[in-house]
Amino acid sequence: MTADRRDFLKGIGATALGVCAFSCGDKQEAERIAGAAQQIDPSDLTWGKAPCRFCGTGCGVEVGVKDGRAIAVRGDEKSPVNRGLLCVKGYHLPGFLYGKDRLTHPLRRQSDGSFKKISWDEALDLVAQKYKEALAAHGPESVSIYGSGQWSVFDGYAALKWIKGGMRSNNIEPNARLCMASAVMGFVTQFQSDEPMGCYDDFEAADDIVLWGHNAAEMHPVLFSRMLESKRKRPGVRIIDLGTRRTPTTDYADMYVEFRPGSDLALANGILHLIVKNGWVDEAFVKENVVFRRGIEDLKTIGYGCYGKNAERYGFKDKAKPSSFAELKTFLDDYTPEKVSRISGVPVAQIEALGKLYGDRSRGTVSTWCMGVNQHSRGTWMNNLITDLHLITGKISKPGSNPFSITGQPSACGTVREVGTLANRLPADMVVMKKKHRDIAEEIWGVKPGTIPKKPGYHAMDLFRAWSRGDVKVMWVQTTNPWMTIPHLSRIEERHGDDQFLVVSDMYPTPTTDRADLILPAAAWIEREGVFGNTERRTQQWDRLVDPPGEAKEDAWQFIQVAKRMGMDHLFPWPDDNWHEPMWEEYRKFTLGRAKDVASYKQLRETRGLRWPVIDGKETRYRYAAGHDPYVKKAKGVHFYKAKGYGEKAAFWLRPYHPPAEEPDNEYPFWLCTGRVLEHWHSGSMTRRVKELHQAVPEAYVELNRADATELGVKDGDTVRVASRRGSLELTVHVDRRGRPPRGSVFVPFFDEGRRINLLTLDAMCNISKEPDYKKCAVRIERV
Amino acid sequence: MRWLGLFLCLGVLGVAASCGKQTDGDVPDMAVPNRGEALKGSAATRAKRRAFDGAPPVIAHKDFRMACTNCHKPKGMEVPGVGFAPNMPHGETTGLSAVARCVQCHVFKTTDKKFRQSSFAGLKQDLRTGKRHHPLAPPVMPHALFMRENCQACHTGPAAREEIRCDHPERTRCTQCHLARRTTTEFTR
Ligand code: SF4
Repeated sequence: MTADRRDFLKGIGATALGVCAFSCGDKQEAERIAGAAQQIDPSDLTWGKAPCRFCGTGCGVEVGVKDGRAIAVRGDEKSPVNRGLLCVKGYHLPGFLYGKDRLTHPLRRQSDGSFKKISWDEALDLVAQKYKEALAAHGPESVSIYGSGQWSVFDGYAALKWIKGGMRSNNIEPNARLCMASAVMGFVTQFQSDEPMGCYDDFEAADDIVLWGHNAAEMHPVLFSRMLESKRKRPGVRIIDLGTRRTPTTDYADMYVEFRPGSDLALANGILHLIVKNGWVDEAFVKENVVFRRGIEDLKTIGYGCYGKNAERYGFKDKAKPSSFAELKTFLDDYTPEKVSRISGVPVAQIEALGKLYGDRSRGTVSTWCMGVNQHSRGTWMNNLITDLHLITGKISKPGSNPFSITGQPSACGTVREVGTLANRLPADMVVMKKKHRDIAEEIWGVKPGTIPKKPGYHAMDLFRAWSRGDVKVMWVQTTNPWMTIPHLSRIEERHGDDQFLVVSDMYPTPTTDRADLILPAAAWIEREGVFGNTERRTQQWDRLVDPPGEAKEDAWQFIQVAKRMGMDHLFPWPDDNWHEPMWEEYRKFTLGRAKDVASYKQLRETRGLRWPVIDGKETRYRYAAGHDPYVKKAKGVHFYKAKGYGEKAAFWLRPYHPPAEEPDNEYPFWLCTGRVLEHWHSGSMTRRVKELHQAVPEAYVELNRADATELGVKDGDTVRVASRRGSLELTVHVDRRGRPPRGSVFVPFFDEGRRINLLTLDAMCNISKEPDYKKCAVRIERV
Repeated sequence: MRWLGLFLCLGVLGVAASCGKQTDGDVPDMAVPNRGEALKGSAATRAKRRAFDGAPPVIAHKDFRMACTNCHKPKGMEVPGVGFAPNMPHGETTGLSAVARCVQCHVFKTTDKKFRQSSFAGLKQDLRTGKRHHPLAPPVMPHALFMRENCQACHTGPAAREEIRCDHPERTRCTQCHLARRTTTEFTR
């Protein structure tokens, strides 16, 4: 009997059990359901629009509400993003609101460690007092806010204004530092303006879609559907999957290119080498639109942000120097296909095929990437290199030809990147380091000149290091779960000092609320009014559709109330029952005239979102492109008008290959890669409370290659111990299931709070973006 | 064996071998006492597999690690010892390749345990019959057409539930007579 046949028959056994359960117990249920009179007509529900709560795709949904509860969702057929389709997380959206352990009241930790219910007044007074005390005793560097790319624009804007314009501190960071900071720095270093030039329409126009370490089938399922649909309608379209393990995306790819972890830097340079060598450069485009730059390349000077003197504070700064096409040619001599093949393990024929693909100007090429490229110890470099491929071939700012960074979270773009909830940023591409930018912000906010400090605050990784040292005294965490998601968790595992105060706003208890001094119950998604901005620059608004449970309140409201208790009423001068629209219109002032123009609130209410810049009510599909972007004055072609520092041209960066911070050796012979799965959102605190999603993937596991499993003497379903230099976990082995790593490589998802893989990961960082690398460290596997 | 196939599939799981007696190794005894009973069971089963009416059902069998369309073919397929695998209701017009990657929306159930208890109560499965303009008029569809373009998948064949089984499957152009209601408002000039 073959293994498949055996599995098949076992399945039948399982089916039979299911049959029993239903036939024995469900007669009544059947009759109840058959009683049609009890049914609610879907048209009796009140349906309201909202963007999906989960990934950065930003699908539109319609939520069906009856008696104050969300009881159904459907894909919004009017949404241009998803045209009615959702993925399994989206289809199960309303369930995440109704876990029985929702936090419904403020909870204060007692001296015996237990929590006691307190009133909102007491809670808000307490937070205000803690911030005031820390500011008075230790100054603005001692207070902080740690937020999220799942904050609505209102939450992020209120936080930013309060901490920078009120408390005069720049210590605000989002979990998005762990997610797309490298993409921000990629765009900023090349175009002096963040966010992609392309949009989802690219997938219907491209001939080749190249996914760089991007498992779109699981991480951006509806975008992947758009890619597949494009291919179905136009069979010439090719999907190329570049990765370090086979994923569900690979199953649909025309070519799978497997490279050794971290060697994508060499691979991209290898492709550039072929483009230059074979004369596939679009010389006219380059001459008109591109300048060349080079940064610091010495490995020792740069480091990885996790060892030696960099282990407490990593402040490496890159320095740009001019370069040229001639210098690029010499630089690329080092990246022959043969050498790149040795570094990456990619066959020469595949490197040549990729060279041809990018070099062929008759075909439109879209490159997409997400965490594989961003969570990389040279993430900004990798972002630069992919964009370089498009700059040198002129495949940019054209429908179907763009470098397209895809973001993970639903408002990493709208809130973090556009509002600028980062230690160094202000709204609309502005930064605290520039006086002119601070002046603009101070004027819009109506605060005294000189209020905003010019020194950036701690980036997220250093913020948590400072917290564990005790240098930061107060931290308010909202809409994220750092005690699961910060890499190398053991550094922050110890309980903080008595002179420190941790406030956590969340919907559910998590490992992070477990460590809080004060827990505040958060209203989520459609329990409050909000705005998200998705990956394609689309801003989407929704209204409050149901009431939050108990006393739960939205995050922005919580900030505003504390700010008012600290005497900062002037920052939030709007009436308590109508502040969303005026706050939006104030924020919008930052964006107007800066080519980041977001739509008016009224327009957002009426549409299924619009892609900025929105000028005269019209959205922009392709930035920098004549005929599309109203800021481009040229008659045709492209104009990188935001890059004033480069003479309104884009910067091509020469970036070398550097090895990862930690590589497998005799003691720890396997690569560890971590990530998400289709069914779960981030640390699982929402999706695990949805029965169907939890029951599909109930716990974290370790994917092993079949040959490695055989060598270790384990098989699918066995338990093994996965250990790194920093920690260990016991996990169930998965062999040849949805993800299939190559020999010497394992994968573990991070959603399971009972099995926190970040106890094992390394806190190496991108030298420029300070985004940590969750994709590469060394582990060993032991039988238990 | 044919009857086994008829009564075991996505929808018809509710039926058989109440006492779980198994013969022939792994193959269960699936004698079915009463077809009507079975079909009511099927309604319950289907409803249980959806979080709410309109949610994609959780897959009714374990992962056989093969392409779904091996069995869920255009005309459906009887899988010996498992059941009738019906066609999928998603048609060409669904768009966005909903038919390309089934497990994007339909997941397997791998455990009965819950992570935490929930009070979520979804919209109940819609078993209302469509409204008729007059007693002899064809009923208007009581559901949206999106993702359900392929009427035969649910309304005909061995897997069709009794309550919605069509008695004229030979007339394949359903929308010629049955309208899909797209709005609840009335015409005004
Ligand atoms: S693809 Fe993303 S945005 Fe769309 S339904 Fe799924 S999780 Fe939600």
